[in-house]
Amino acid sequence: MERKQPDLVLIVARSFATKLATPTLITDVRGDLVYFNDAAGQLIGRSYLEIGHLPVSRWQELFKPETLDEQPLTAEQTPSGIALLERRPVHDSFAFRGLDGREHEITVTAFPLFSHPDEVVGVMSIFWELPAAP
Amino acid sequence: MIVRVWGARGSLSAPGPATVGYGGNTSCVEVELADGTILILDAGSGIRELGQRLLEREHGTVYICLTHLHLDHVEGLGFFSPLWRAGWKLRFWGPPSATTTLRERVSRYLSPPLFPIGLSEAPAEAVFEDAPREPWRVGSAVIEAQTVEHRGPTLGYRIEEDGQVLAYVPDHEPYLTAALDDEPKWISGWAVAAGADLLLHDSQYTEEEYAQRVGWGHSAVGHAAAFARAAGVRQLAMFHHDPMRSDRELEALYDEVAQGVGDDQEPPLIAREGLQIALS
Repeated sequence: MERKQPDLVLIVARSFATKLATPTLITDVRGDLVYFNDAAGQLIGRSYLEIGHLPVSRWQELFKPETLDEQPLTAEQTPSGIALLERRPVHDSFAFRGLDGREHEITVTAFPLFSHPDEVVGVMSIFWELPAAP
Repeated sequence: MIVRVWGARGSLSAPGPATVGYGGNTSCVEVELADGTILILDAGSGIRELGQRLLEREHGTVYICLTHLHLDHVEGLGFFSPLWRAGWKLRFWGPPSATTTLRERVSRYLSPPLFPIGLSEAPAEAVFEDAPREPWRVGSAVIEAQTVEHRGPTLGYRIEEDGQVLAYVPDHEPYLTAALDDEPKWISGWAVAAGADLLLHDSQYTEEEYAQRVGWGHSAVGHAAAFARAAGVRQLAMFHHDPMRSDRELEALYDEVAQGVGDDQEPPLIAREGLQIALS
């Protein structure tokens, strides 16, 4: 029997996200998308149950993140990517395209999830849609 | 390995005629490995009597795995006779902390004013270490520790010897982390218990009690059964009995647990002091 399991910190983060009304997304230590809550699903255009686990390369390809002045962002340049690579909290804004084709401008707070002082197991990203320009 | 229960009560020692059948001592389980190594899981009040038995030998080494440091899991330590005998070596593992050593944390209890004598005065050689993040070998067994959902840093232990697996998760609230029919890998403690031959698991509350105590770190008996089913364990032993639960009340909960485990699992047990199970 394969017994691999995410660290408890990631399990509890996912559980916390399920209960939040604010859009929240969880990535693991590889940057793979391992969960987003229903509120995030409304912006993403699908529920997590419909999409499931997404490798980092795949979610970047699907959502096409870009800066607010339309410069493409790599996964490493998004707030969750920076939080993971640099092991620090990040607050920034960017745009992405939902799976329903709608464009969204969001502001994100992403922070690394440390299970031990020297071990990051993932990133939690909480985001809000920016109000449309008048 | 031979598993012996010296204390199966949770939260507080509960001696008296109403609990004499299953016992009132708090968590302590002895695991005697095939090579004779003695491994002890938790140091609740049940460890006192185990210590007396160990003194049949003049000296030796025992290995003690602490799941966490709530009093019901360490309160017996001050009365564990080998600690007070020169020539004994005690090696402890427990949950890690980012700020204090395991020895410092245990010493908070084993020092005045909570205890008359300090740990530093104990004649035995006591070595304290955070549980390794990777599996490690003790005698003829391999031990694995994983953090599990409870109040404060808490470990569940998996002990494997010759293909037989004991899982020990006495304080655990997996229902707080995921629905117990969720994808198993997202259920706290799943990897510790997966496929175990025997699982000693938190069974503290009735469903009604749990509804009033969500987030307190313990399981309702139905959750214990669902967790055992999700983990595919061979046999569940209800453990960490509520101190208010009489023997009769405990037995009244049994049917609910028995109905909750899978058809392919052996009937569950109610852990009691003196219970001995050979896994081989």
